[in-house]
Amino acid sequence: MTSRIEPIAGRYVTVTLSGVPHRIYFEEAGQGRPVLCLHTAGADTRQWRHLMNDPQVTASNRLIAFDMPWHCKSLPPEGFQTQEYMLTTEAYIETVLAMVDALGLDRPVLAGCSMGGRIALQLAALHGDRFSGFIAIEASDFQSAWYDIDWFHRPDAHGGEMGAALVSANISPHAPEAERWNTLWMFMQSGPGVFRGDLSFYTRDESLIGRLGRIDTARTPVHLIVGAYDLTCTPEDARRTAAAIPGATLAVMDELGHFPMSEHPDGFRPFFIEALGKMPLVSAAAA
Amino acid sequence: MLDRLTTMKKRLDDTPHLLRLGRLFSETVLLKVGEDEYYLTFDKGALAGIQPGPSRKTPWRFALITDAEALEKFWQPRPEPGFHDIFGLVKIARGRIEGDILALVKNLRFFKEFMALPREEMAK
Repeated sequence: MTSRIEPIAGRYVTVTLSGVPHRIYFEEAGQGRPVLCLHTAGADTRQWRHLMNDPQVTASNRLIAFDMPWHCKSLPPEGFQTQEYMLTTEAYIETVLAMVDALGLDRPVLAGCSMGGRIALQLAALHGDRFSGFIAIEASDFQSAWYDIDWFHRPDAHGGEMGAALVSANISPHAPEAERWNTLWMFMQSGPGVFRGDLSFYTRDESLIGRLGRIDTARTPVHLIVGAYDLTCTPEDARRTAAAIPGATLAVMDELGHFPMSEHPDGFRPFFIEALGKMPLVSAAAA
Repeated sequence: MLDRLTTMKKRLDDTPHLLRLGRLFSETVLLKVGEDEYYLTFDKGALAGIQPGPSRKTPWRFALITDAEALEKFWQPRPEPGFHDIFGLVKIARGRIEGDILALVKNLRFFKEFMALPREEMAK
């Protein structure tokens, strides 16, 4: 068997968030237009590994992904042992903008999935000038939880295993078995209370609803992508959201679910390439 | 349905990883299919008993309530959206889950994979 070293390279950067230093892990592959990629709740940068290994994507796009604080290789801040992790819209926005600054990115495309897609739309509404376009995957204005988020952080059960068993409901039966389980493994590995803290943001903050109309797609295009097997952000949720953003476009993937770039990379690939094609090049955006 | 459940019991007996996942699961689950009731008694992950109902004397921990057509769609190798998961059945209003939902969630992978056992047969 021939060994193959992947082109993905990972490093760390320390950024200050709300006055507290955070050591953030990020990885990247490719060259050209920067595309900042945001993972879902309870997971990490590994969800983007297939696209980062795709020469057609990376030939002209520099894909960058980072683990949110508390996730995977990004340690929680000092003193975390007495804190309750609860992500907020404000903290999430601060984190994404801090990473854009720390990495010196000039108006990257922002691609986010699930809660990453939700915050991408928030950033489109509030900080559109910092980006060249938005790819919002499995993203919607808001939907409340159909589960109790407290299930995923309790002393008598393994939150990661329960979380994985729950989110498996959002994976398409068309997904290759190996990638289904690679996707679920990330949830199984999630730190205690982290998935719950992410879901607090995702299922309780309705502030995006009133902001969608502010998004100026003439300056920064917004393209939504949604999988038919997504029970959390259904095609109906994505259609409602796209309809509230003048000029936004939407693609529905009949055979994919909530984690398309991770659960079914071959199925997602053409949709992501189509989405990139809708995003302007930075030089064009600056003109 | 009874034949199907009996086949599922045998399949479970032949699935070591599921028996391992369910080793702490000793509960009775009510499966209601239309008007028909089946009390599934698990003992350390094995399906020890399948008792047709109705029975007001049989306590159960949680219940999955659905209909025969929905279950047949659920058991397809590649189900349509919504029919691909027990929570999908709930989402599309073809199923309900009642009782101690936390007991289900703590054993969710085990129970979902048990319920999906016929898919492999259907794929043949």
